[in-house]
Amino acid sequence: MIKGNRKVLGIFALMACALGSQAFAQTQGCIVLKSTAEIEKEVVNDKGEKSRVLVPAGKVVPGTEVVWTVTANNVCKQPSDKVTINNPVPEHMTLVPNSAFGAGSDISYSLDGQKFAPAGQLTVRENGADRPARADEYKHIRWEFKNSLQPGATAVARFRAVLN
Amino acid sequence: MFSLRALGAACTVTLCFGLGSNKAFAVGVPAGTDITNTAQVTYAIGATSVTTSSNAVVVTVAEILDVVVTRQSTANTSVSANATQQEILFSVTNSGNGPETFRLVMNSVIGSDDFDPLPSSPSIYFDTDGSGDLSSGDVAYSEGTNDPVLNPDSFVAVLVVNNIPGTVVDGNIGIIQFAADARTGSGAPGTVYATQGAGGTDAVVGMSGAAGLGTGQYVVGGITVTAVKSQVVVDQFGGTRPLPLARINYTVTVQATGSGSAANTSFIDNIPANTTYVPGTLRLNSALLSDAAADDAGEFISTPAARVRVALGTLTQASGTQTIQFAVTIN
Repeated sequence: MIKGNRKVLGIFALMACALGSQAFAQTQGCIVLKSTAEIEKEVVNDKGEKSRVLVPAGKVVPGTEVVWTVTANNVCKQPSDKVTINNPVPEHMTLVPNSAFGAGSDISYSLDGQKFAPAGQLTVRENGADRPARADEYKHIRWEFKNSLQPGATAVARFRAVLN
Repeated sequence: MFSLRALGAACTVTLCFGLGSNKAFAVGVPAGTDITNTAQVTYAIGATSVTTSSNAVVVTVAEILDVVVTRQSTANTSVSANATQQEILFSVTNSGNGPETFRLVMNSVIGSDDFDPLPSSPSIYFDTDGSGDLSSGDVAYSEGTNDPVLNPDSFVAVLVVNNIPGTVVDGNIGIIQFAADARTGSGAPGTVYATQGAGGTDAVVGMSGAAGLGTGQYVVGGITVTAVKSQVVVDQFGGTRPLPLARINYTVTVQATGSGSAANTSFIDNIPANTTYVPGTLRLNSALLSDAAADDAGEFISTPAARVRVALGTLTQASGTQTIQFAVTIN
């Protein structure tokens, strides 16, 4: 019966789908991405020695520099290739020039989220002429990690921005 | 540490007191604003490309408590003995980033002056009609009853009013202090008043200490000396363009008004940067003065900074306008 065949086909289709999505779910869940916003605080220990620690930034006054850190942790058993972290410069904040950091990555910036270029290579059109974009005009930051991220390893990206 | 940016919140009529706005004082993103940021990562496992987002991080903007008090009247307010309702005008500006209520206080008992002005009753008024002086439309301030609520960037004009005692003589000075502080809290910059900011965010005392202080002084006698300066530029082509080598002819009129006299009045004017005094151009009331010192009322002084000086003696209102002229060339 046609109906019966359809049923069988349907079951096969479901099984194939299930297998496919299981494989997809595995690759999808391989990197756990965490983001934090912190501020640097100076602490003094019992001996009077000063050091700086990062504490969560909850409520922040204008003018404060906030340290943003993104970590990408590979939780799978295979390496992840071409790991690229993208982070928009947070709203109402201005990027601190040269503060973006990520060991083993090439860092680039964008004004529009589409075109990315290394620091100093973006241009802005002003009064009919092109001029280099300033760091405080960058709207997006990208870290492209050159090597694959091994199982269990974590890639770290960080930048600082000042609250307007 | 706190950077100043010209971002002010819009002033809503219900919250604003007076409708003055002074963008130069604005500090920062409005208190209570939530800033949300999420990162993304893309990666490849074999041929499959995957994109994942991070958790959303929220940073809430705290409120900075800051205020600026500026005297709007001239430094000296001329008064006579026994005069009443003598006013000095101030502005109080919320230079923080959240709406704030301010307490106003006037103190006329200051130790370093010749007399204590006597606070009128009431002694503080809002310049409600914006006239710049005390008039019937102005509303009296009563602490705790109508403390001004100011949006960020907004200011309110305030008149402090005092009477002058009868026992003063010409030249006596009476100083008053006018203070405004944030009701949420004030004190050392950085002091945190947790959850007391607009919308429940933290309020943090800014660099002003969330307190502003202005001073003014009443001067008995009423002689005021004012100088008004004008210039005419003559370039070497007969035009008026300020080119190098063009000449600027300055005219300054000095006038004493009011009662009493101003003794030993001297006019001194610095030669502007990037210009050079033209010797032999100093005149008082059209009469040429020598550039040398001590031989007449005028002199040109070259060190430490180039300037002209004209001694005008004792001026009264009857002395009339004194006109000083001199010329410089643009380097």
